[in-house]
Amino acid sequence: MQTSSSSTQLLLASSTLISQGAEAASPLRISKVFKARLHPASRNDAKNSPDEFVLLKYRFNKQYRHPTLDGTLTKARVTGEARAIVKCQRAGVNVPSVRMVDASEGVLGLHWIDGKSVRFLLGGGAEGEEEVDESTVEDVVDEEEEEDLLAGYDISKGTIYTRLVGRDASDEAVEEIMQKIGTEIAKMHRADVIHGDLTTSNMMLYHPRSGRTDLVLIDFGLAYTSTLVEDKAVDLYVLERAFSSTHPASEDLVTLVLKAYEKTMGKEWKSISRRLDDVRLRGRKRSMVG
Amino acid sequence: MPGKIRKRSPLKLPDKPYIALGLEGSANKLGAGVIKHAPNGSTTVLSNVRHTYITPPGEGFLPRDTAQHHRQWAMSVIKDAIEKAGISMHDIDCICYTKGPGMGAPLTSVALVARTLSLLYNKPLVGVNHCVGHIEMGRQITGAQNPVVLYVSGGNTQVIAYSQQCYRIFGETLDIAVGNCLDRFARVINLPNDPSPGYNIEQEAKKGTRLLPLPYTTKGMDVSLSGILTSTEAYTMDKRFRSDGRADDGDKDIITPQDLCFSLQETVFAMLVEITERAMAHIGSKEVLIVGGVGCNERLQEMMGVMAQERGGQVFATDERFCIDNGIMIAQAGLLSYRMGFQTPITKSTCTQRQVFRTDQVHVAWRA
Repeated sequence: MQTSSSSTQLLLASSTLISQGAEAASPLRISKVFKARLHPASRNDAKNSPDEFVLLKYRFNKQYRHPTLDGTLTKARVTGEARAIVKCQRAGVNVPSVRMVDASEGVLGLHWIDGKSVRFLLGGGAEGEEEVDESTVEDVVDEEEEEDLLAGYDISKGTIYTRLVGRDASDEAVEEIMQKIGTEIAKMHRADVIHGDLTTSNMMLYHPRSGRTDLVLIDFGLAYTSTLVEDKAVDLYVLERAFSSTHPASEDLVTLVLKAYEKTMGKEWKSISRRLDDVRLRGRKRSMVG
Repeated sequence: MPGKIRKRSPLKLPDKPYIALGLEGSANKLGAGVIKHAPNGSTTVLSNVRHTYITPPGEGFLPRDTAQHHRQWAMSVIKDAIEKAGISMHDIDCICYTKGPGMGAPLTSVALVARTLSLLYNKPLVGVNHCVGHIEMGRQITGAQNPVVLYVSGGNTQVIAYSQQCYRIFGETLDIAVGNCLDRFARVINLPNDPSPGYNIEQEAKKGTRLLPLPYTTKGMDVSLSGILTSTEAYTMDKRFRSDGRADDGDKDIITPQDLCFSLQETVFAMLVEITERAMAHIGSKEVLIVGGVGCNERLQEMMGVMAQERGGQVFATDERFCIDNGIMIAQAGLLSYRMGFQTPITKSTCTQRQVFRTDQVHVAWRA
């Protein structure tokens, strides 16, 4: 870190870097993610209130890039992400709210979500696990801890953990998560925000101790605004592929997601569905070079 | 290494020395190379001969003329390669040729030569995917074990990683290739095609000082390059552009061709390094291997090196002998699959210029 005395830098210095395998970290891990408190005064009195924490997403300087280019890019990306989140929030999508933006330092502060990613809850394993064959795969969570973390995820009746053991798509708990996913994505698309990286690692469920049950969409680093049916269909296709590569029996799950999506989307669904069929047929997005 | 499970390589040590002749001609380079795999597992490059079809400044190479060049030079290049290797055609175990992807006419003319040699000397044919050739050559020369591969050339721009006997494409260009982008800009500012337009751009860029704003278009793990080319070209129509690079009346606010080369390289390479970094983060790899013609650009290697260092990793790159299309890479990849029992019967010894024969369509039998 640079020896700058700006308040943002001081804040970063006082916060804890989240280990790279952590659920809240961006799957691309190009930025560093910190956990911090915006108001140091509240450190003592609000120990048990997780709402006090903020997540700092720090896009640090890339030494390989020309400094001018790096500066403009970082600024544009931080503001872009913040804008997408604010736009989602206005449309009533569950997203972490923006707590601070320092574009020139490359820092975006978001509301800390006390929870776990859907990928983790569905037993999708650690990030990137399926691709790695030779290198070390460190399982961040050992058995005991897993039990502890998952206990009490109460979605409908009973804990989700016990319900997920069978991994049956007809299970109410899984069904409910899938519905929530579909609804949130539809709300986002109705606001013309395209997420760009819809995976189950980018969706989180609150821990029961926070008293909330909503599903939150995170990581808008690749988000952009578009009204095109094509972009929305591709966004859904990305999700489909992410499901099939990380979760078994994903077809049933995706069907559930799309059903809920259709319900919220209304009449726009027809054209998106038709385009989604087209996109699926394309397989890879293209097969010729220029 | 502790905690690591190394899978046993399915490729057994050769029971005798194997020698392969590789023929490459998918673009404007005609290459012939001879490689030897010894029983102790070592690999020796016996010869590596190349002849490049160079067009006048401002012109690209057309398929028909390139094919004609290859036909004209095939005999002398192959003869040269065999002589330099100090062997005779009878010592060869297999003849490897580029099956694709590439330009149609040059590919077929080289494949014809391969078929003829195969019938003349009664040697088996092995059709090789051009991209896999680059990767295998790069791994052999640099000794990189399981790197993320950035394959950048005139026709291809791909970020590749190995997984389950297949080179998976993680990201690629959505329109033109990076080499194509640079070469076409070289044509716009009339840089010579000798030794290669990309090399001349690199030299000009060293003299550039001003970074002009250009679009920066990474889309997830993919990049788009055609718009950048258009924007760079548009600067040559700008009032401030001086094609001779000299300010006439002490005017500081000018744009020189050198500045444009500099800006183009900085922007495009930053994008490539970024998508490579994403792929590395995604699969948790720390090694990068750069292959393909643009891979011998030292600025790209330098930037990649800085990125790899930031991540505690390492970059592997080769020089122009192995980066630019050559016969050796075809021989290397071909011999690997030949040792796994793969042959291309003469009735199937076709070529394909299309990307239906993509990098991820090849069954990489020789890796675990």
